[in-house]
Amino acid sequence: MSDLLLDVRGLRAGYDRAVVIHDLDLAVEPAKTAVVIGPNGHGKTTMLRAIAGLLQPWAGEVTLDGRRVDGEPAERIAGLGVVHVMQGDGLFAGMTVEENLLMGSFLGSSWRGRREALRRVYQALPLVEEKRAQKARTLSGGERRLVGLGRGMMRPARLMLIDEPSLGLAPVAIEAVYAALADLRKESEAAVLLIEENFTHVGGIADVVHVLEAGAIIRSGSYAELSTDETIVQTYLGALPEAGR
Amino acid sequence: MTDVVAILANGFIYGSIYGLVAIGMTLIYGTLRILDMSQGSMVMAGSYVGWWALAEHGVNALVALVLAFIVTFILGTATELVSVQPLINRAKEVDLEMVTFITTFAVAILITNLALQHFGPFQKNVPVIVSGHVELVKGVTISYHELTMAGISIVLMGSLGLFLARTRWGLAVRAVAQDLDAARSMGVPVTRLYPLTMGLASALAGVGGVFLGGLYFASPTAGDQPLLFALIVVVLGGLGSLTGTIYAAYLVGLIQAFTEVRYGTTWTLTILYAAILAILLVRPYGLKGSPSEARL
Repeated sequence: MSDLLLDVRGLRAGYDRAVVIHDLDLAVEPAKTAVVIGPNGHGKTTMLRAIAGLLQPWAGEVTLDGRRVDGEPAERIAGLGVVHVMQGDGLFAGMTVEENLLMGSFLGSSWRGRREALRRVYQALPLVEEKRAQKARTLSGGERRLVGLGRGMMRPARLMLIDEPSLGLAPVAIEAVYAALADLRKESEAAVLLIEENFTHVGGIADVVHVLEAGAIIRSGSYAELSTDETIVQTYLGALPEAGR
Repeated sequence: MTDVVAILANGFIYGSIYGLVAIGMTLIYGTLRILDMSQGSMVMAGSYVGWWALAEHGVNALVALVLAFIVTFILGTATELVSVQPLINRAKEVDLEMVTFITTFAVAILITNLALQHFGPFQKNVPVIVSGHVELVKGVTISYHELTMAGISIVLMGSLGLFLARTRWGLAVRAVAQDLDAARSMGVPVTRLYPLTMGLASALAGVGGVFLGGLYFASPTAGDQPLLFALIVVVLGGLGSLTGTIYAAYLVGLIQAFTEVRYGTTWTLTILYAAILAILLVRPYGLKGSPSEARL
């Protein structure tokens, strides 16, 4: 019995016959933020989808709080307290912002607390409140991402899986998204597993950083360690980052 | 003047009942991306429930309607579990839309033949829900039964709209229609939602069946014509669009009423199909559909 919140061992998954991730080991401690960085197309999103149950793992074990969850459907895993903020944002395009948020409270007990949850999200993300009656498809990329995050805050989570929050956003929008993430970090007890293409933005929130290449974790360490490691900096940044955020 | 009143009144009544029967098909197409060909047999089952409850047991009209709702809800849920659910789990290997078109049709034929064996081929008289009629202008009368039918159809369509807009499960149905993966990661149990959606759609058709039974008869083939009209309405409205379905239902109703009043019933189908052909050639995606197909 480990005290890990999420324990992934020997995970293997892919699409059709193409293996995307293999022999992947990863652990997330309770209330900590783990960031996985890696190039596009090397399996970061596949890993998150396999953990969330949207993709059936081919082999390996996924253990959440001591309980095996690999092979369980996504709706069951969600019920165990896993919140998945999907790539892009996974918003329901034809629904209003508020309806999207309410869907975040779909699960059993959180539905009763939906009004309170809405109030909290609007307080944390005033921009989202401004757009509450707008259809999700009419929002800008940055706004959509914030709504996606807000929706992830609509029910209590033990583990938040967050897929490339900076993808495709303008720098100013990325800052807004990461500011929201930092706030979320302060308020929530949940552990976070966040993936990004590089670690430009994650310095302020990462407790531990893993590097995923060609379907497996090849390096792990603190942000300070990895962001001063020459080979990694060469590969992912091309220059030394400014310290922290 | 008399003609205009007759066309509007009948168009309104036809349109309302077509809308009620067709809207379930739209709901199913919007969520599951399949055309439910068993919808007509739910109308037929509803009219037999109406006959059984009203003629055989003399129950209150409201009780008969609720009973028809419940019976066809169960029947629709079972139809999904038998003819759709097993294929959804294998959606990667099969063309779901095409195969379920046939499997739901097969269920419809099964239900029709069970009715034939159990009730026989003869038409059963279904009592009207409310007797009496009103003369709108001289020469144009509509029955209270038809008025009630239109009224309850509108109320049920409105309730469906409210259900989808305001309730937890209604939002979940729309969420599943718009992004299946995202809905699942919100915790929506899709494997339970699909049968319930089809049950609900069937129940609306079942209630329509009680009214149509009072207008015509209950017979094993009583669902054929409603299925045909529902298909027309659903395609004309734009597959998957609820508002499009309602527009299309009233449009079809008005066209039908117009031809009946002006040219006689023998021309109805000819002119109706000519109009549909013309509309679809100009707007191939239907009134409210779009190239990417409307989502609930």
